[in-house]
Amino acid sequence: MGFWNKLLKIDRRWIYTIIWLVVMIPLLFPFKIKPMAMPPVTRLFNYIDTMPEDKALVISVDYTPDIQPELHPMCIALLHHAFATKRKVGLLTLQVMGLGLGEAAIRQVTEEFNAHATTHEDSIINGEDYVYWGWTTPIITILLGMGERITNVYPVDYYGHRTESLPIMKHLKNYDDIGIVVSIAGSSIPISWVNFANTQFGVPIGCGATAVSAADYYPYLNSGQFTGMMAGMKGAAEYEQLVADKFDELGIKWELRRKGTEAMSSQTAAHIAIMIFIIIGNIAYFVIRRRKK
Amino acid sequence: MSADPWTWIAAILTLAIFSFLYKENPFYRFAEHLFVGVANGYAITFYWHRVLVPSLINPVSHGQKLWLIAIAIIGALYFTRFIPKVSWLVRIPIAVVLGYFSGAYIPRAIDAQILQQLRATIVTRSMFANWQSGLWAVIIALGVIATITYFFFSAKRKGILKPVSRIGIIFIMVGFGASFGYTVMARISLLIGRLQFLLGDWLGLIH
Repeated sequence: MGFWNKLLKIDRRWIYTIIWLVVMIPLLFPFKIKPMAMPPVTRLFNYIDTMPEDKALVISVDYTPDIQPELHPMCIALLHHAFATKRKVGLLTLQVMGLGLGEAAIRQVTEEFNAHATTHEDSIINGEDYVYWGWTTPIITILLGMGERITNVYPVDYYGHRTESLPIMKHLKNYDDIGIVVSIAGSSIPISWVNFANTQFGVPIGCGATAVSAADYYPYLNSGQFTGMMAGMKGAAEYEQLVADKFDELGIKWELRRKGTEAMSSQTAAHIAIMIFIIIGNIAYFVIRRRKK
Repeated sequence: MSADPWTWIAAILTLAIFSFLYKENPFYRFAEHLFVGVANGYAITFYWHRVLVPSLINPVSHGQKLWLIAIAIIGALYFTRFIPKVSWLVRIPIAVVLGYFSGAYIPRAIDAQILQQLRATIVTRSMFANWQSGLWAVIIALGVIATITYFFFSAKRKGILKPVSRIGIIFIMVGFGASFGYTVMARISLLIGRLQFLLGDWLGLIH
């Protein structure tokens, strides 16, 4: 058996080992990469950055723990952006498994902001600056019901407070008070947001998608049904970079933990390795085919 | 290294799942079954506490919204599937659910996923305000026409249909390539996430 034949029949466990090392080594010894924000991410960021001050950002935490590495950094980056620019935030989840992830995200970001707050105005307060509506079902009833009155859909929030009694809900009655809904999901839930909230009520929809789903969502970006989109961990890293630039612009000095950006050196190394595998595999295939002829 | 026992449990289960990469083994099967059981238990608990108790049991037990009992009975007919003699009754809740969701979904889906997508392929003069947007608009329109032509099976591929469907294949292949590239990125991201946990949260090697 020749070299190329051996190469094509290599035990796949060697490939796994190489990928493990290629991903692991840059995590231990990272090289610096500054993510360049692509137009879909920039559009989403700019829309949130410039939307009217009285409009809230709603984040739909529609992902589950299995895809957390790709999507959780997006949620964190959106919350950083919203609170740094004093936006009101509403969080909800349409996935049972997303409930804890939404809570973890809001807890982490509010703790970060409140640790650096010096006045009441700087603090991020539950029920005043944000509300976590939690989870309920079914999806269609929620998406249509929020167009009429959000407190009817969510009579109590995640923490058990009556939503009618929360100060933030006085200015957050239905879709008219929402600037944009960003659905972060590994499923087709963003399309449900388009079908119901965007098509029927005209609410702008942003999307945070797993990289696997991203190619399917570009038509919605092209048609304007998505205002912007973050695709995979790279999309999260791009948004993190824009938020970091915004922090600099606002004079916020404290350092942000940027999990998406931290992963970019591993991501880059793994992509190069896979490209090399594809090239070697193709060379081997054509060499063997020529020999057979 | 972490002193949190939950981090250790998560790390050991992660390694048990990864052990499948070497070969099928009891550790992997244990972790897989545990995950399925925990996920189902978590979901059932939430449906009980967040849906059935507040929306059905509480109001009915206080004598309010008694009509919900009829709805609950219709829902409970799903369980007739387990009794062969009356299993046909399962069609009733299925019909209710299908009727409601089809009625709510189909008109909006036609608007959002067909009409608005079609509208987005129309090339207008305003798209040529700058040459890049004009070029992309033309490419998208061409791509849509060529790809639909490729899937047009009612006529033999000859004459104009032949070259257009060939162009359609190119667009389809570009689409597959983009999907594959994104899939690689997604899978690597998931591995990165687990390694960040193992090397950071568990072993404390990265901060």
